[in-house]
Amino acid sequence: MGDIIITRDLTKVYHGHIKAVDNLNINIGEGEIYGLLGPNGAGKTTTINMLTTRIASSSGTATVNGYDINKESLKVRKTIGVVPQDLTADEDLTGRENLTMVSQFYDVPKQEARERIENLLKLVDMTEPADRYVKTYSGGMRKRLELIVGLVHNPKILFLDEPTLGLDIQTRSQMWEYVRQIQKELDVTIILTSHYLEEIDALADRVSIIDHGKVLVTGSPQELKSSLNGDIITITFREQNEADAMKNIPGVLEVTDSGPNTVRVKVSNADESLPDVINFISTNKLSTMKLTVQKPSLDEVFLEYTGKDIRVEDPGDARKMMMNMRRLRQ
Amino acid sequence: MSGLIPLTVRELKKWYRNPIFFITGLLQPFFWIALFGSAFDITKFLPNASGSLILQGAPNYITYIVGGVLTTSSLFTAMFAGTNIIFDRRLGPMGRFLSSPIRRSSIVFSKIISSTIRILPQALILIVAALLIPNGLKFIHGFTILDVLVILAAITLVSFIFSSIFSVIAIRMTNMNSIFGIVNLVNLPLLFVSYAMFSPVMMATWLSNVAKYNPVSWSAEAMRMVIINGSLTGSQWYQVGTWLGALAVLALGLLLLTAYLSEKEIRD
Repeated sequence: MGDIIITRDLTKVYHGHIKAVDNLNINIGEGEIYGLLGPNGAGKTTTINMLTTRIASSSGTATVNGYDINKESLKVRKTIGVVPQDLTADEDLTGRENLTMVSQFYDVPKQEARERIENLLKLVDMTEPADRYVKTYSGGMRKRLELIVGLVHNPKILFLDEPTLGLDIQTRSQMWEYVRQIQKELDVTIILTSHYLEEIDALADRVSIIDHGKVLVTGSPQELKSSLNGDIITITFREQNEADAMKNIPGVLEVTDSGPNTVRVKVSNADESLPDVINFISTNKLSTMKLTVQKPSLDEVFLEYTGKDIRVEDPGDARKMMMNMRRLRQ
Repeated sequence: MSGLIPLTVRELKKWYRNPIFFITGLLQPFFWIALFGSAFDITKFLPNASGSLILQGAPNYITYIVGGVLTTSSLFTAMFAGTNIIFDRRLGPMGRFLSSPIRRSSIVFSKIISSTIRILPQALILIVAALLIPNGLKFIHGFTILDVLVILAAITLVSFIFSSIFSVIAIRMTNMNSIFGIVNLVNLPLLFVSYAMFSPVMMATWLSNVAKYNPVSWSAEAMRMVIINGSLTGSQWYQVGTWLGALAVLALGLLLLTAYLSEKEIRD
């Protein structure tokens, strides 16, 4: 599989000195779901905006589907689908009318557009409300509509910019299911930005963690998590000497004290090591009070590479999110 | 792949499906012709005004003013063409348009064209209303298909001109209040510094001198000429041709300016 998107030192500078995207180099393979993960203001949306030719790059290049984003922007636009962060459907039209209008933007032949729209509506369970005005839709329905508006012209690449921003957790996991469905059925490459770690973890084949416009690390979510070197098994015993005895267990990475009668056992893979640990406990007749297994989450990966917690939001974005939420709830 | 047709269809759907927007637009001409027709009717102070210089030969004030009210109605509708650009930017559809392979200028031209189309039924209603009201519009020297074409051309051009001007203003605007402010600032000056309501002889000299260059005057006078005189003489046709020509040149200039600026400047 070749790379469908290649960026070379892609850079966007605002006001002469603010580097929103700083010499970005990423390769995205055909058919992947590729995540761009980063805190607000990390440069994810700016990257998407450049790749979708909504804004020009300040320096560096990128090819999307083989076309140069600066020199062949029209060709790029024809072969990609975009689901921007904001809602874009016209509330005064029906869902189907919105889809039809966008299909006309791409000169999709009428009959083909009709069939395609029908299939897309079915794919995201929107057949029933398709002929209602968009202003009557719930937040989840509006987001589902946005998802397929970007697909009416059969693009090879779909850009999803924060597809579940402002949605409640149930609707979010439902959206993930639809995204997976789309990737499977329509065979598109998906570029997904998110600052929800669970989202990237659930969807992305590979992810780049971005901060201050730079890629800090790239890999599959699983790789990134194992790069943290290990799962943690925390065990609390009845007596302190039992906890000390635990330190003699072979075949683990590290055993450290973690409070009264408690040790943290670091292993490379808890699923494989847990039987050994339990064996060790029972052969040494140690009495355990409590045992927990903690797999590293992307939260920790993120913390490790950016040095900060992704959940700390800046007020500007919180306002934007509120606005989106308010509109979604109407 | 220009996108002009689907975008214009969208604008028109939004218009005829919104009952308040649609009905107020169609009622407005009644009010205008009735109110302007009597509020500004100067002939009641001036006996023997009809046929004189003041009415330029019209049998009554309504007949004199119809061309002016048609122009004003177009002007006031056209001035709001730009607001939808700002709405699209604020409510999200602009993002969709800008990421599609359509021509940027189609976004702006769809507003201009739809606003011009919206004016045509208003104009028709206005003429019917003027004919219906007592002592209303009278075609004393007949009315030909050519006259209809002159009226249609004048309305279309004046709508196009002012829709373009206000759309260009809105291309980079994000705040609705700015455009409302500009509309409020210029609407009455555009109306009263023109021959839409009064003939040059009724105006202060300086006002009349400025009014000469107002496109509102050109459109009002062209329509007035055909409404009052029916079949025109050669020199009258020349005069109408000059006014319509000036409007056409201005419209063409604005067409090019709008195309250039919207391709270059439109942003999300």
